[in-house]
Amino acid sequence: MDLIRIDTQKAYEQLHTRIVRLQLAPGELIDESQLASELDLSPTAVREAIRLLVHDGLVQVTPRHGLYVAPVSLDDLAQLSEMRVSLEGLCARLASQRASEDELAVLMALRQEHQHPADDDSERLFALDHRFHQAIARAAHNKYLARTLETFFGLSQRLWYLALPEIGTLPAAIARHVELVQAIKAGDADLAERLMQAHVQNFYDEVQAILKHKLA
Amino acid sequence: MTSSHNTPPLVLGIDTGGTFTDAILLDYETRQVLAAHKSLTTKRDLAIGIEKVIDGIQINDPAAIKMVSISTTLATNAIAEGKGKRVGLILIGYDQELVESFKMSERFATPHYFYFAGGHDLYGQEKAPLDLSGILSTVARIQDQVDALAVSAYFSPLNPEHEVRAFEGISSICDLPVVLGHQLSTKLGSIERATTAALNASLLAILQDFVVAVRRAMAHRHIEAPLMVVRGDGTLMSDEFAARTPVETIHSGPAASAIGGRFLSGVEDALVLDVGGTTTDLALIEGGQVNVTEEGATVSGYKTAVEAADLFSIALGGDSHIALGRDRRLSLGPERVTPLAYLAREYPMVEERLQQLAKRTWDRDSAPYLQYWYILRQPQTTGQHNPRQKALLDYLADGPRPVPDILQHMGVLHPAQLGADDLFRREILAKAGLTPTDLLHSEGRFDRWSTRASEAGLIILSRALGLEQADVRAHIWRQATETIVRAVVAFISGIALPPKPPNQPRFGDWVFENSLYHRHPHLDTQFHLRIPIIGIGAPARVFLSDVARILHTELILPEFHQVANAVGAVAGSVMVSEEILVYPQFSTAGLDVIGFYVQTNEGRQLYEENADALQAARRLAAERARGAALRSGAANPQVTVDVLADGLDSYRVRAKAMGNPRLEKN
Repeated sequence: MDLIRIDTQKAYEQLHTRIVRLQLAPGELIDESQLASELDLSPTAVREAIRLLVHDGLVQVTPRHGLYVAPVSLDDLAQLSEMRVSLEGLCARLASQRASEDELAVLMALRQEHQHPADDDSERLFALDHRFHQAIARAAHNKYLARTLETFFGLSQRLWYLALPEIGTLPAAIARHVELVQAIKAGDADLAERLMQAHVQNFYDEVQAILKHKLA
Repeated sequence: MTSSHNTPPLVLGIDTGGTFTDAILLDYETRQVLAAHKSLTTKRDLAIGIEKVIDGIQINDPAAIKMVSISTTLATNAIAEGKGKRVGLILIGYDQELVESFKMSERFATPHYFYFAGGHDLYGQEKAPLDLSGILSTVARIQDQVDALAVSAYFSPLNPEHEVRAFEGISSICDLPVVLGHQLSTKLGSIERATTAALNASLLAILQDFVVAVRRAMAHRHIEAPLMVVRGDGTLMSDEFAARTPVETIHSGPAASAIGGRFLSGVEDALVLDVGGTTTDLALIEGGQVNVTEEGATVSGYKTAVEAADLFSIALGGDSHIALGRDRRLSLGPERVTPLAYLAREYPMVEERLQQLAKRTWDRDSAPYLQYWYILRQPQTTGQHNPRQKALLDYLADGPRPVPDILQHMGVLHPAQLGADDLFRREILAKAGLTPTDLLHSEGRFDRWSTRASEAGLIILSRALGLEQADVRAHIWRQATETIVRAVVAFISGIALPPKPPNQPRFGDWVFENSLYHRHPHLDTQFHLRIPIIGIGAPARVFLSDVARILHTELILPEFHQVANAVGAVAGSVMVSEEILVYPQFSTAGLDVIGFYVQTNEGRQLYEENADALQAARRLAAERARGAALRSGAANPQVTVDVLADGLDSYRVRAKAMGNPRLEKN
């Protein structure tokens, strides 16, 4: 992100948030110049930001009809879940084998925060969950894996917002992290992988149930 | 007209000063100033003034503008006014007892600092293991109470490992911006490094918002060009770089003036005097470069490790307040007020009132009526004001009022009783009064605003003093000249003249006064400045003619010297410097040198021979400086490498890459 100019970065952050939080709905047409005047940023900055969002999979380009916010479908969800369950599991396994003292200290610090989460603040919990996954990805010491997971996480985030009004178990899911940190710290690769897979799978099962209901 | 392929490259320079925001449009190849504009600086949000000044410049073809560059007092002001963001300072390996016993913690520029185990020694070896868990649990605890974090580890320039590890850990658990000491300075002073890191962290968001606001103003005018920011030494950095290292913009305004003065005059060695509305700034140019302080800039009493122009600033300018003290003595400054001429043009009632007062030839006590208060802008909400402030704002709602009227209406004896300081600070109220700018109007040397109000003001003041107007004017100009000469002598000699002890003439004072007024019948003394003075700013001619005469030197006033500060914003070179440390590795017993480390931000490498280590360091530093300069927008950067001995067998290898800004062809 360091390489991008500041206003592009601002534009990217604001558009990313808008898409993820559904203020720009899935499937909606994107009007670059209107966005530029709404955000009060230069058209170049917005154009560059959109290019990054295309790369993230949050925006789609169709050669004939322009730019759209990437749509969401149950099919999509299933594919995403397949990918994330296995890769996050692999990530936890590698982390339990490779985490350094510093990385364990980070995981312990995040675990500590989990122990008194503010239950009402769901955005904060989600941010905490995100950091947790990033910390484990870092501890796995595989940059390609980390990068791939980060992209998928951005896509999942949007699903989470779609399901948000009905989803009730985030604190419970996050409580799982505590066990997971124990397993990584103990170097128990099998247990870490299993716990992580279950954690991610649960999330998708729940989102799927809600969306099935919603999209039906 | 529409094709920008054939038009010469234009650059837009902007300077935000204490009083005015100036902009110029320059033809970069012919060095011709094509247009210039001034607007009032809006301290509460500099972007407003910048937007206005860009609007005021005639731009036919925005696509011809290839660079916008800006110098800003934002960082300096934010520090002076305590408006920086809240910073948590993480100190690693600092001796808490030592720091506290010498009260050095007062210099950290933030009240939130925390000590942790870790750090390295003089040889880059770990002094104690890093207490990362301690750092992370503190960060988790304070993350909602601060806006940014700064990390400084003991001897981190020799080995930044602990700072880097702290950064990795902290950024894994929270989103706060984190500043690392070793990235800002390779100097070893641990307190200055911590101060610099903390100040930098406190300014990050402010400068980022500023850069975005300027870019927005550019976008409104369809200017799509790289944006540069002037550093404290007059060189340029990209906006992206500036947003990461805002401390480097400290003193950028005066530095830009000096560079602009050199650019417009073509003189390579000179004393540059920039007479603004609020202050007069002094800087030296030697060999075409602004003189830089080696020991680091001091701002608002905080000593930093930032290299900036060697400057001297006095609170004397065109808008300094001319007031009559209780002892009936005239004072000039240090307070800055709005000139009566300006106020009267905005509010005709002020001109009428002053002219009436001037006609009352019997009245010798009307001088207090020269001080006006007025509403500068309507506050957005009045809820936060106390009843007295509300009453004051109501009273001023119809226009400016002289201070004696205000006191009477509010039923108090002294302005301090009104509790209005807060309203002035927030730029809701402003003060107006007689200023040198008014003298210039009354003398017919300026005709921008209401000459009649200025004339009336001078009549009222002269009558209160029982003097002729000409004598009062002469007295004020003499006082201004003496103040500036005193500043020049102190700046050049490095010796300040302390306040005079009463009835005890000292040799220094005698020489100074005799050199100004030549009072001794037999023994004459005089100053002789061997370099010319370059005058900058609208009132420079008036303020500096006598100064140059007394210093027996030439006064150069280049064309467009009124806006040299804005010219300086685009005239600087793009510069990037990179430092690499080379220091010895000792045997376990600690007596023999067994190798040499080459230390960069990323890590260190060991060499057996000193010469190999130095050669590697030179090559690495030069390569990095060149790469960074290219990335910052320099065209064909030239690299110079200096090796500075820094203690026994230790060296700082410093590469500087400099080049003119690259102006992209479309």
